[in-house]
Amino acid sequence: MDVLQYAWLIPVFPFIAFILIALIPKRTLGWEDGWGYAIAGAGGALVLSSLVIWEVLNGHTLTEDAPRTTWLIIGDYEVTFGIWIDQLAALMLLIVSIVGTLVVVYSGGYMHAEGETRRRYYAEIMLFISVMYGLVIADNYLQMFIFWELVGLCSYLLIGFWYQKPSAASAAKRAFIVTRVGDIMFMAGIILLFKYVGNLDFAVLFDINSGTPGAPTVPSDILILSTALIFGGAIGKSAQFPLHEWLPDAMEGPTTVSALIHAATMVKAGVYLTARTYPLLVQTPESLLFVAVIGGVTALIAASCALAANDIKRVLAYSTISQLGYMILGLGAGGYLVYHLQDPNGYTAATFHMMNHAFFKALLFLCAGSVIHAVGTNDMRLMGGLRKHMKITSTTMLIGALAIAGVPPLSGFWSKDEVLAAVYHAGDLDPIFLLLWVLGIVTAFMTAFYMFRMWFMTFAGEARSTYHAHESPKIMTIPLIILAGLAITSGFALLAGDGFKAFMELPIEEYVIPGHESTFDIAVEIFTDPLTYVSLVLAVVGILLAYRMYYVPGFDRSIFARGAAGTMQRALENRLYISKFYDDFAYKVWYGFSIVCDAFDRRVIDGAVNGFSYLGANTGGVIRKAQSGNVQRYASLIIVGIVILLALLLFVVPWGGW
Amino acid sequence: MFGSIPIISIIILLPLIGAIATFCLGRYEKYAKWVALSFSLAALVLSVLVAVDFMVEPDGSATGYHEGNGFFDFQYYEEYSWIQSLGIRYIVGLDGIGLPLFLLTTLLTTLSILFSWDTKHRPKAYFGLMLILEVGVLGVFSTLDYFVFYIFWEVVLIPMYFLIGVWGGPRKDYAAIKFFIYTHIASLAMLIAIMAMYFQSGINSFGMEDIWRAGLSEFGRTFQIVAFAATFFGFGVKLPMVPFHTWLPDAHVEAPTAGSVLLAGLLLKMGGYGIIRVSMPTLPEGADAMQLVMAVIAVASILYGAMVCLAQRDLKKMVAYSSISHMGFVLLGFATFTQLGIVAGVFQMFAHGLVTAVLFMMCGVVQHHAGTRMIPSLGGLSKKMPNAATMMTIGFLASLGLPGLVSFAAEFMVFASVYQTWGLWLLVPMIAVAVTAGYYLWALQRSMFGPLTENIDTSHVHDINWFEGVPVGTLIALIAIFGVFPLVVFKYIDPAVRIVQVLFAGGG
Repeated sequence: MDVLQYAWLIPVFPFIAFILIALIPKRTLGWEDGWGYAIAGAGGALVLSSLVIWEVLNGHTLTEDAPRTTWLIIGDYEVTFGIWIDQLAALMLLIVSIVGTLVVVYSGGYMHAEGETRRRYYAEIMLFISVMYGLVIADNYLQMFIFWELVGLCSYLLIGFWYQKPSAASAAKRAFIVTRVGDIMFMAGIILLFKYVGNLDFAVLFDINSGTPGAPTVPSDILILSTALIFGGAIGKSAQFPLHEWLPDAMEGPTTVSALIHAATMVKAGVYLTARTYPLLVQTPESLLFVAVIGGVTALIAASCALAANDIKRVLAYSTISQLGYMILGLGAGGYLVYHLQDPNGYTAATFHMMNHAFFKALLFLCAGSVIHAVGTNDMRLMGGLRKHMKITSTTMLIGALAIAGVPPLSGFWSKDEVLAAVYHAGDLDPIFLLLWVLGIVTAFMTAFYMFRMWFMTFAGEARSTYHAHESPKIMTIPLIILAGLAITSGFALLAGDGFKAFMELPIEEYVIPGHESTFDIAVEIFTDPLTYVSLVLAVVGILLAYRMYYVPGFDRSIFARGAAGTMQRALENRLYISKFYDDFAYKVWYGFSIVCDAFDRRVIDGAVNGFSYLGANTGGVIRKAQSGNVQRYASLIIVGIVILLALLLFVVPWGGW
Repeated sequence: MFGSIPIISIIILLPLIGAIATFCLGRYEKYAKWVALSFSLAALVLSVLVAVDFMVEPDGSATGYHEGNGFFDFQYYEEYSWIQSLGIRYIVGLDGIGLPLFLLTTLLTTLSILFSWDTKHRPKAYFGLMLILEVGVLGVFSTLDYFVFYIFWEVVLIPMYFLIGVWGGPRKDYAAIKFFIYTHIASLAMLIAIMAMYFQSGINSFGMEDIWRAGLSEFGRTFQIVAFAATFFGFGVKLPMVPFHTWLPDAHVEAPTAGSVLLAGLLLKMGGYGIIRVSMPTLPEGADAMQLVMAVIAVASILYGAMVCLAQRDLKKMVAYSSISHMGFVLLGFATFTQLGIVAGVFQMFAHGLVTAVLFMMCGVVQHHAGTRMIPSLGGLSKKMPNAATMMTIGFLASLGLPGLVSFAAEFMVFASVYQTWGLWLLVPMIAVAVTAGYYLWALQRSMFGPLTENIDTSHVHDINWFEGVPVGTLIALIAIFGVFPLVVFKYIDPAVRIVQVLFAGGG
């Protein structure tokens, strides 16, 4: 039995769980209001995903020969639905299945106090995971787009889970609309390709301009535009500058939802899309440059916003944006390397970072959830000293912080270093990448600083408010321990077996390089490269600075209230005013314009209509009588109509002969 | 399945008999709803059977198959001479364009009657008029003779006028008369064009097929442009298109809920149907000359409608304006003159019929239960009416084009066809996608989410009633089914519009 043929069943498991939880009457739902079904749904998908991943690890993929079903045929256009399992899809399946399942397990403890609303929670979580799987295994852009939008919908529902809170309802709406701006670009991008190719299958599209007989051709300017537009979808979904501000607000949902969104589902979809589009992207260096610049700028802006945030989830949210910026930067620079040197290192580095980030970010969010669960607030200024009460949480969170800061041998070190190395190498081709590399290095320093600022503010020192902190139940700490293990070890995938790089083959035949480097060479290369030590030193300096400022007592932080530093601090606390800009634009400019449109509609357009009828009513008394309100007005109108009709007939007869 | 049974005529006659029976109930007026429901349900069942029986690619063995050289290929074709001296015949038949709308008509009428289950004010007249309305709309979607078409077209106006004028809101008189005069003027423009085509064709026949055939040689370019402009105005007001749309919000705001459902769900489709059945195939050169006008009006309707929606404070008025925006997609699809666009336009009519019915019903639910539809007075209602909130959310999501629900396929294909015809101008109508999401989600946030409102007395607000929930639930199920399997409907539409596209590829 070929497991890959049945990969389409992966999203079906959680979907069935979704249907069951949504439809089974409340009283018979049983265990924790649907938690049992959710575990079964996520677990079933995890098992099948593991089998699929195992097959892919053994070198099997299922791409062009996958079974398909027709969704629509119009004239010469056809859209079919199928599955596409390659290394990239397998990697994403790994991320979604592990993180998804652990989040569901953890929810059993975290959402325990929510009562009956848990039913809606588990139903929506199951739908969320299901459509994310659907997105991952899609074999064409339209199918991907459909699930892409549904992922957005589930984020909307879950961010707004506590919809009675105005801020939650507002944040949910914001997330949906902002990502929809990206979705418009995505849709436009695939429509461009649709015209030239006639369908949207990856199997056909990835052949574009390859020169093989029967391969579709697309003019290069159209290809550039369409890849840039498709990447526009990733800008929205993966919260890249300038559409990134929805993500920090998205923490209005339960923390488990944030963990899912940040680590496995929503925002990873954008990176996944960009990686998925690689066979097209590597033909368009212009788009790649755009991708890289967006990624680099995002990484720096988001990291700087995280420096001054006081909400523990907001720090993590900005750090996600920043790390996503790394991945996007890596993909952009990596594409440049592929285009010029047939060197896939950037691509492997970025996807590697995607995996590592999934584990340590899920860990960090679930730890934050554990803290919030214990303390009852998100504000780090009210925390402190939790290390004594929450040993497991504080230790696992420390592991997560070390991983994201890039301290060897934890996972973040390996992948971040690989990404920065790829960007630096791309600097040989275009000096702008050297600038982006500097942004990346500065970001690495900031990351180490704000993560440890967060850790010290939360766990170290003395409690700054009164609370009865306690360690979370096992159902929550066990997922933390598993994720901490992964955060430590997942980086070694680079060196295990044939190594991650050999596994993550580019999906393009002509770019596959015969004879990979051995994993030993990779390790040697990393530790002999001076750049490695640059980023390492910066990370350590960042940690020490945080230690000095937030752990050692007596540091005078009032310098941040005055002068240039004060201005900077306020700008960062106000999220660089980007959020405010959007609010003003939406509520003042755009809504104001709509008010003008409405007034125009009533006064001018409808006014003209009423004026016209007033004119008619005053010149012809008949119609005015018709408006007197009695039933006969209809009869009189009919008569008027017939008279006009006859007149027109007499007029039309001679006209008809002309 | 139907052999020589005149099934279309039977389906059209059923509601007529039902209407007469309802009017004749005398003092047993409390049974009016049952009579009306049975007759409309019978028509629904028969039309579903017709849809099942319909052969998508007829091989000549289809019931009542009438072949008209690829273009006028109809099934269940019936033809009777009526006024021989003027060439007026009663001809009915269905093709893949008419069938989905025919089905939509019987479906929405049945559900609207059910939705109005608690109507206490003059129920005989109310339900009777709804059945008369059904007769008119069914006739419009199946008649193939211009004269009879015009009669059915006008028949539709009368019951709608009374539905607004008698069962409407505070400004019902103004809204009803405005609706009537406005659309009547449009009908006159259409009538002039029909007469002009009749005389210009030089044959003694009002048959659509005859006139089309004669028109291929007899209609000069200038004539086509003028006649197209007249029919386009006639149908476009119904659609409605900016700037001839202002009758619509007034009519909707004042109309009773079921009236709004039928108005937006069916009457607007008559405009789109007329353009694709009459204007474009019969006057292709005229259409070709006016292509840009059509496109500009369509894009204006889409964007302007969406912008005005954003400013609305009345939930129902917002939904009414959203119809303008969404019917703009129909026109835009048609205006591309591509197979993709025309199929998408027809499908969008079907999709919009289902979705907008849900939206108006939910506005009605809010009005009945909370006592007001003004968004600033509402808030947090999902606490009191969770099922209604869920249904409203699904309706809004369907309307904003969420994949997996029915409108998405139509919207996507319209955009794809726009790119084929006008290239990157595509990005202009696409702005509406974000604006649409904006006004719907914002309205949802302000009316259903957040803390429970204190502006109105919510102590008696309860969840949706069964007779409201069943129609809405049915529609939502259909929205999801056709959203996941749009091919079910496309396979009807696609062959039917193939020739329209050929006409433009060859003649345009």
